[in-house]
Amino acid sequence: MRTGLHPGAWIAWASGAGMVAFVTTDPVYLLLLWALAWFVYATHRVPGPEARSFRLFLLAALITLGLRTGLVLLGTVNPSNVAFAFLEGLRLATILVVFGTFNAVTDPFGVVRLAPRRFHEPALAAALALSIAPRTVASVANVREAQRLRGIHVSPLRSLPALAVPVLEAGMEQAVTLAESMDARGHGRGRRSRYRAQSWSRPAAAIAASALTAAVVFLSASFGGWAVLHPPTSPLAWPETEPILLGAIALLALPGFVRGGQG
Amino acid sequence: MTPTAIRAEGLSFTYPASARPALDHVDVALPEGSFALALGPTGAGKSTLLRAVNGLVPHFTGGTFTGRVHVAGRDTLASAPRMLADVVAFVPQDPISSFVLDRVEDELAYGMENLGVDPGHMRRRVEEMLDLLDLVALRNRSVRTLSGGERQRVAIAAAMAAGPRILVLDEPTSQLDPQGAEHVMAALQRLVHDHGMTVLLAEHRLERVAGWVDVALGFDEGRVQVGAPADVIRSLAVGPPVARLGRLVGWSPVPLTVRDARNAAQSHAIGLPAAGNGHRTGDIVGALRGVTVAYGDAVALRDVDFGVREGEIVALMGRNGAGKSTLLRALAGVHAPASGEVRVLGRAPRPGVDVALCPQEPESVLFTDSVENEVRATLEARGLPDAAAPWLERLGVVEFASRHPRDLSAGQRLLVATAAIAATEAPLLLLDEPTRGLDPDAKQRLVRFLRAHAADGRGAVIATHDVELAASVATRVVMLAGGEVIADGDPAVVLGDSHVFAPQMTRVFGAGWLTPEQVAEAMA
Repeated sequence: MRTGLHPGAWIAWASGAGMVAFVTTDPVYLLLLWALAWFVYATHRVPGPEARSFRLFLLAALITLGLRTGLVLLGTVNPSNVAFAFLEGLRLATILVVFGTFNAVTDPFGVVRLAPRRFHEPALAAALALSIAPRTVASVANVREAQRLRGIHVSPLRSLPALAVPVLEAGMEQAVTLAESMDARGHGRGRRSRYRAQSWSRPAAAIAASALTAAVVFLSASFGGWAVLHPPTSPLAWPETEPILLGAIALLALPGFVRGGQG
Repeated sequence: MTPTAIRAEGLSFTYPASARPALDHVDVALPEGSFALALGPTGAGKSTLLRAVNGLVPHFTGGTFTGRVHVAGRDTLASAPRMLADVVAFVPQDPISSFVLDRVEDELAYGMENLGVDPGHMRRRVEEMLDLLDLVALRNRSVRTLSGGERQRVAIAAAMAAGPRILVLDEPTSQLDPQGAEHVMAALQRLVHDHGMTVLLAEHRLERVAGWVDVALGFDEGRVQVGAPADVIRSLAVGPPVARLGRLVGWSPVPLTVRDARNAAQSHAIGLPAAGNGHRTGDIVGALRGVTVAYGDAVALRDVDFGVREGEIVALMGRNGAGKSTLLRALAGVHAPASGEVRVLGRAPRPGVDVALCPQEPESVLFTDSVENEVRATLEARGLPDAAAPWLERLGVVEFASRHPRDLSAGQRLLVATAAIAATEAPLLLLDEPTRGLDPDAKQRLVRFLRAHAADGRGAVIATHDVELAASVATRVVMLAGGEVIADGDPAVVLGDSHVFAPQMTRVFGAGWLTPEQVAEAMA
């Protein structure tokens, strides 16, 4: 089990944190989100493929940031343009980091259970698709090791087939076996019941409530205009930080203080 | 009269793009409450019949299907596998890819959720299954973090939880240690005896199952004969070591269980076995000194000293999760220890050069389009002459040289992977569970290969649950428990001293007797 918290709490947390990242380009708020996403991940992570897939999300975030900033080089380069592109990139990267955290600490199948009955099938398909990332990561590691053990050093460029063929074939075979297994176990008969619906614990409810509060505060600033969410880049100026917004972001750190087992 | 649970009539089946039928005019009728064993060489049609029982053949495979299969009175051609899920459950050979959900408990409930079982009833069934297969401590774990044996038990529990009347299992004990295999067989027997379920399983390791079942299906090139286990085993000329002994010394009827053999042996005086197995050994090839390995907080090996010499075949034994695979990976130099020293030929191990390891999943090794090219890829990487044929011959896969590894059975793939790994000519060869899915012939070839390897002055370490393999090939047995070495010595002593790991000959004749050949020679 990855965590004892109700998956709904994680959905609320990820939506709240994602929403905050979506409405601001202020680097102070965004970097705070990175820090607390890491904190939450560090509290709830389990060693294994999920941890590696978190690192992949982190890598994707950094690449996104680099690419978005690098695009400026195609046009006029001046400090304002670069700063603007960097902050836009940082916003996208932050959303990726939040999603990576969500992916690493939740069981996608726990999330499927929350789907209403008629959405069960698409939700299950989505969860299976999500679980492919960590499985592939694990499979790549196995194959590299196995090839090394017979003297074939697998580098992605030189010996791609030695890596890609077993990974893809294993993936295909697993997919077929899984489809057979699901069918053989009655998937798609049209009747369903639900095993042990997880109940909301107090910490889970508190996490959901605080995450939604953070989102609401930021949305009200975005629509109400009572705080600066996009620091001016032309001319460049230091971002102003609003204590209320800092407090709202701090609410998102709550899961980091709740140990998995207690939920 | 007992109703028929499984009935196949005039069943023939040919896979798409295959010339030879996998099943050829098969007639089988198993009454409710049968405990049936499918046996026979690899590729003789066992898996195909098993998969025909719940309709995966032909609904998922395509191919040419003639005749009829009825399970619990339902025609499998008329119903998709999912519509048979309430009467028949299937546990495939490699359970990890059949898991749908992540948590053990959820996985157990999945089938019942699909059948719309009432939540209260579902909760009670899950608890029962957790107890029946000894899974209570694992209930919240992710299935991906479990050991092979634990996964097997989860898969069986998940299949049984849905409450089917018929349970079909493909090699259910191949990943289990001897104790784990007994647990599973006992649990299955309870389902048959107490609940009137019908169980059909395929298995190569007859010593683990022959004494439990009450009917056998003998497969030979797509044909099936049904009868009492003793008759079928006799006519197929296969069997557990006690049956081999019975044949060697001319006992009739051929014994199937240790108990049968003990009764038959009462009239034969047999002395004490000759001491030692007289093999010569040379210098140390590979060694661990004070090695500790940890995965996160879990310590997999604790301060282990281990050595293997030229000419030795060391069998590494111990229950699931004892640290056998970890020891092999540390010795192969792919898992750096937290502390301690690993030496192969006196220096840090060079994987693929001084030491080669065939992992438990041969699929991660195979990547070319033919069996022959698989071995050639190794030879090329090692800069050795391009001669694949001798390796294919040694492992007995030469007849598949031009076939795609994907089209082979699990056991055949394992042999191909072993050939590809051994072709490194590394002086230290490590094999992790080298007999999974191997039929007795293939196992015999592996034994001969290992003996030749050792006779060449090389060393080998095999991690195995297969006590009969260890009894017939090992020159030394090292027993692990909880990441520590608890026994290290002559097989006759280490295996003879164990309740769980004693081979059949030890059970019948006492410590020191390991193989039927050795006993037959002493009796002659």
